Amino acid sequence: MTSGDEKLQEMLKHAIGPAGTELQRDLWPNMLARLQEKSTAVPWFDWVLAAVALLALLIYPHTIPVLLYHL
Amino acid sequence: MNTHPYVRAYMGGIATPTMVLLIVLTAFVLARFVFAIPVPIERAIIFPMAIVPNLFGVWNMLYLWLRPHQHLPIGLHGAILPFILAPSGYALGRALNVLNLQSNGLVYFQTLTVAYSHMAIAFIFGLIVYYLVWKYFVAFFNRVLGIG
Repeated sequence: MTSGDEKLQEMLKHAIGPAGTELQRDLWPNMLARLQEKSTAVPWFDWVLAAVALLALLIYPHTIPVLLYHL
Repeated sequence: MNTHPYVRAYMGGIATPTMVLLIVLTAFVLARFVFAIPVPIERAIIFPMAIVPNLFGVWNMLYLWLRPHQHLPIGLHGAILPFILAPSGYALGRALNVLNLQSNGLVYFQTLTVAYSHMAIAFIFGLIVYYLVWKYFVAFFNRVLGIG
């Protein structure tokens, strides 16, 4: 490394300054909150819809090929 | 940095129908080659195989594009899709001569007649399934891909 390179390196260090390697805050409480977060519950309305769809399929099974083709 | 959100939306959209396609394809193959049902299923299979997953991908891209302008819940956005798929399937079926219109209902492969009342039930079933699939499955893949 030439003296010019060393000078340039010094100038860069001086201009940019040291990088912040320390954490600004503790991240563990956020992680714990994320882990304890409850998964979104399925609303009753969606259960009813799923039940109605299943019932329709059981009552009218001959529509299954139509559904396989169109959906 | 370009994070290609529309490519991710496309991928998030096609994931669910691609998996379901395995079931559809298995049903088609079993019907044709195991139970030897004498209908040209391979003529009709292009619709669920090629068009439906791609349409899911494009529809999810549209959802991402529309989101800043108007926020329609993803389930309702998905429930609009059968209004496009049903007539498209019908038009393709007519073009490929696998679907005919008769006074008592639609005739698939010149063998399976489905009454119009049953078609209406099938359509409502489709709306419900699409609503739930988009609300839970496509939304899940969108979250996984960071666009949810």
